[in-house]
Amino acid sequence: MSRRSLYRATVALAGTAGVVLLAAGCASSSGGGASDARTTVTFDYLWTGAEAASLQQIIKQFNASQKQITVVGISNPDSQKQLASMSSSSGSFDISDNFGNNVGAWASKGILAPLGSYMQAADMSTSDFVPAAMNQVTYQGQVYSLPIAVHDFELLYNKKEFAAAGIAGPPTTTQQLAADIGKLTKVNSSGQITQLGLGNPDTETTLTTLGYVFGGTWDGQDNRTPSPQDAGDVAALNFYTQNITDKYGAAKVAKFTAGWGQYGSPQDPFYTGKVAMVIDGEWQPVMAKGSAPNLDWGVADIPYPAADPNLAGATQLTASTLFIPANAPHKQAAFTFMKYLTSPAAMLKFTLALGNLPARKSLLDNPAYASIPDFSVWLQALKSTNVHSLASQPYSAQYSTDLTTAFNSVLLGSVSPATGMAQVASQAKAYGAP
Amino acid sequence: MARPDRMAYPDHAVRPARAARPGRRSRARRSQLLWGLAFASPWLIGGAVFIAYPIGVSAYYSLTNFNLFQSPQFVGLANYRAMAADPVFWKSLENTLYLTVTGVVLTLVLSLGAALILNLPVRGQPLFRALLYLPTIVPVVVTGYLWRWLMNVQYGWVDRILGLLHLPQPDWLESPTWGTPAVLLMTLWTIGGPTIIYLAALKNVPRELYEAATVDGAGPIARFRHITWPVISPVTLFQVIVSVIAYLQIFTQPYLLAQTHLNASTGGPGNSMLTYSIYLFENAFVYLKMGYASAMAWVLFLVTMAVTAVVLVTSRRWVHHDGR
Repeated sequence: MSRRSLYRATVALAGTAGVVLLAAGCASSSGGGASDARTTVTFDYLWTGAEAASLQQIIKQFNASQKQITVVGISNPDSQKQLASMSSSSGSFDISDNFGNNVGAWASKGILAPLGSYMQAADMSTSDFVPAAMNQVTYQGQVYSLPIAVHDFELLYNKKEFAAAGIAGPPTTTQQLAADIGKLTKVNSSGQITQLGLGNPDTETTLTTLGYVFGGTWDGQDNRTPSPQDAGDVAALNFYTQNITDKYGAAKVAKFTAGWGQYGSPQDPFYTGKVAMVIDGEWQPVMAKGSAPNLDWGVADIPYPAADPNLAGATQLTASTLFIPANAPHKQAAFTFMKYLTSPAAMLKFTLALGNLPARKSLLDNPAYASIPDFSVWLQALKSTNVHSLASQPYSAQYSTDLTTAFNSVLLGSVSPATGMAQVASQAKAYGAP
Repeated sequence: MARPDRMAYPDHAVRPARAARPGRRSRARRSQLLWGLAFASPWLIGGAVFIAYPIGVSAYYSLTNFNLFQSPQFVGLANYRAMAADPVFWKSLENTLYLTVTGVVLTLVLSLGAALILNLPVRGQPLFRALLYLPTIVPVVVTGYLWRWLMNVQYGWVDRILGLLHLPQPDWLESPTWGTPAVLLMTLWTIGGPTIIYLAALKNVPRELYEAATVDGAGPIARFRHITWPVISPVTLFQVIVSVIAYLQIFTQPYLLAQTHLNASTGGPGNSMLTYSIYLFENAFVYLKMGYASAMAWVLFLVTMAVTAVVLVTSRRWVHHDGR
């Protein structure tokens, strides 16, 4: 290449680079909204579909309500991308959502911005939020996230199957529940199960909830130490195995459940009558209306052990939460929007649209929720002092995986409940390791 | 070689060009080198930044407590010691080695068998070759969900066919005993790739060798043993190394098969589908234990290198290069 052509190539390269940089600069200034005084807050959320659409309506109302902040909502159901963005020095979003059980792990690693100072400056109190929800969003005494919706679990039952089995109403004690499971489980002439009295849509949720029902705790009395061998937890697993897997055969139950249709679809085993009872959340009225509009079903509190009436109303709560990453560019503006989203009016709109429970106690008796059939059972359950939530600690994700693995082994009959929980306890000793 | 003596070239003589202009020659070489480096720079820089640096840094991270968000804390060999005491680590390693040993052997046997059949002079052979290769081009996620359906104990076709043959019908996806074989079964569905490679190798076996052997009275088994197998042995070596590496890193197939109906990934029944790569992924991106995951990555790297080295060393006994 001659010197002249080399010179020309260099000039052409420099010119191209200049145009690219100029274009990038223009894009940056227009995207940053420098022409007006409004701060642009990026709200990157995991919700999609109808849930995202209702959220966009609330964002629109917020943007119209004031002149300082413009919120841009982006549906991005990729939690790995969410984590990757938060690992850089400057994040790509200002506010996002996740679940309460991640708060402790993320807070301990400095991923989340503590909200205490913002709440204090805005004179915002947490006293109206359901205590079990606040338990999940608080780490070492500091609030790192706020719940926008919560979920709890109750006993759903098929009224037609109950009538066919001669059962007058839903069970109130675990003894009655055991008897009803027996009456509602059907086995054909070749010994194969054709209907199960009690099924579970999600093993971990069902069994951890039953642990609370039997007076157990999964995170010790200090709420920060794994306690899978708690007597109540083991009793819950014994109840499930004695009345279902051991009684009808673990292999036969596994074979029967393998044929279940997709959860929430018209082929959901509860909707098709393959399962007479399930322990499930408050989203079922909306879900069942869409997938099984003709199903005649009811909902009641989860039965409690007859010997201990103090355990009546026990259930598990999980929370959908909003958080501000530690690397968010506009934390103050993001908190202003978070405060709006968790205000009673916005929370009511959001939870009504999704068919989720509000995280504020003041909304539990709101008549607007009467439009959702049977919703009141889940709503009123939140008033109980026996509502529990799994601790949100640095070990939570690993503990959840180990519990799920152990639960599956117990239900397959590979290990006894006591042995399975002892194995988890042994694994939990290494949670603090690097 | 002696340096040419200046006195050997009288002033009026034409001196050889390379001896005459050493400065220009070195400049030209330097220029060529610079141009070469300039053209190769995207790959050199990319390799250094995106491959060499991460490999080096991961070695350091394996000696630290690192969660991606806070500065790494040096912990020495604690991650490696924790690995040795972690039962889930050993379970994942056991599953992976089981898949590697059985998977590599079955892949080689089945793909070579299929290639031998597809090499026969039969009408419609191109169609059969295309059909065998077809599963390879189906996206693995589609394959995963297809096999979840095929291996369902209630309505899956695998058990239905086994039932017709009066064979046991295992609960592939719910039994701790059958979880790992289920992964193997799904993986072996895509032997089209190795089969095509074997087929190409078989086409290159000189026909005159077969003709000479036939004249000498060799039957089909003797011809395979003494001609086909030795001639295609370098291809077999390639297939062994590629398959070993693929099975040691297997992730997608068990990840898809172990999914529950709520789309959460697990290790399958009794962790029977938990492979080394899945457990590494869980530690890195679910538990955010990057230090532990880096240590696991280095152990996998060393195991892969060791197995490959063993294969290469033993290959001297059974691989024939250019008739040797």
